[in-house]
Amino acid sequence: MSRYFDIDDIIMEDKHSTVFFKVGANGVGLLDPSAETNRVEQGSRVELPFWLANELYLRQAVSVNIPPCFNLKTRREIQADAACVDLRSRCPYFYELGCKVAPLIGDKTIGSFLLYAFMNRFKDILSKAHSAAFAVAPRFLPLLTKEEMQLYEAACSSMTGFKKWRVGGSRFEKASILGMKKRSSE
Amino acid sequence: MAGQSDPSLSMFSAAEVEFLAEDEMVEIVPNLNMDTLNLICGDFGPFRPQMATSVPLWLAVALKKRGKCTIRSPQWMSVENLTQVLEAERDSPAQFQPLPFHYVEISRLLFDNARDDIPDMYMARSLIEDIRDVRFHKFETGLEKISSSTHVVKLKNLSAMEVNIVRPFFVRALQAFAKHDSPQMIHHQQDAMSSRQTHVQDDGPRRDLRRR
Repeated sequence: MSRYFDIDDIIMEDKHSTVFFKVGANGVGLLDPSAETNRVEQGSRVELPFWLANELYLRQAVSVNIPPCFNLKTRREIQADAACVDLRSRCPYFYELGCKVAPLIGDKTIGSFLLYAFMNRFKDILSKAHSAAFAVAPRFLPLLTKEEMQLYEAACSSMTGFKKWRVGGSRFEKASILGMKKRSSE
Repeated sequence: MAGQSDPSLSMFSAAEVEFLAEDEMVEIVPNLNMDTLNLICGDFGPFRPQMATSVPLWLAVALKKRGKCTIRSPQWMSVENLTQVLEAERDSPAQFQPLPFHYVEISRLLFDNARDDIPDMYMARSLIEDIRDVRFHKFETGLEKISSSTHVVKLKNLSAMEVNIVRPFFVRALQAFAKHDSPQMIHHQQDAMSSRQTHVQDDGPRRDLRRR
């Protein structure tokens, strides 16, 4: 519940995933574009945003499929070379979504798969985040998910803060408002 | 993950670390006559010309700026000592050499304010920069060894400024590892064959903190 107001969480849950309806549902034909009447038949395949799929799953009205970003193709790519996989284009909230989806689907391997992916990417990319030269950095940046991006930015900002301090300069900064000359009112 | 969305994860700014460093004591040689200063943090003085006294760094810098003293360079900042430390740093790839906790800040303050008091200033300055680079590089290579079974990381002899730089990144990284390696994510795999390895890691979170 502490994440209820978290913007990242809200955006993440907006991702679509396919679900199979276990029961028929009246009055919500809007969800299924191929429905003729205003209802969703049992066993039909619908694309729903994750927050809706989650709630319906808790009410045991649907069974959820794996979101497309965790399919076999992605797994193979990550096993080949984790650091080069462009996770952001698949799903910018790769890890978060995986953590949420894992209990919903029957797939038990997501947890260790996420861990494996994160560890490898961490080793290759993030451990160099601190001292990454400006030329090197942009190559990796578009590949990172939101969480990795936060890690990276934390490292960068603390490093730049240190460098700025090292260069020196006055300890006191004059507030900018004091430097403004009075303008005569027009 | 309370701090994940907050980019400034309770971090000291570099200037604040420098402020804390100014409490370290240094030796000065005053050239004025002054009675004891009774301050809340302690009594300093009396100041007599050419008699060395020990004062906090902030006081030393203040006096120096007014031309009332000369600062004696600390023992560890001599060129011989720094060269030794640099050699030792380069020779031991896994350990950090013992250095004063605030060596980065103290050296910067002294270089900026007490240039003429330090023998071989340029040499000492470049040595300190080299030492800092080597230590930081050691830290980065150590980072790559963090795996999911790390619960406590012990880094001996890391200085205040270095700790401050890596703090946000390090904390977040460990949080992320803990999140992905938590028992809920992996526990249901204990029966699977491939989880023979993960089973070892699974015991970790339930034990008390122990060294890596």
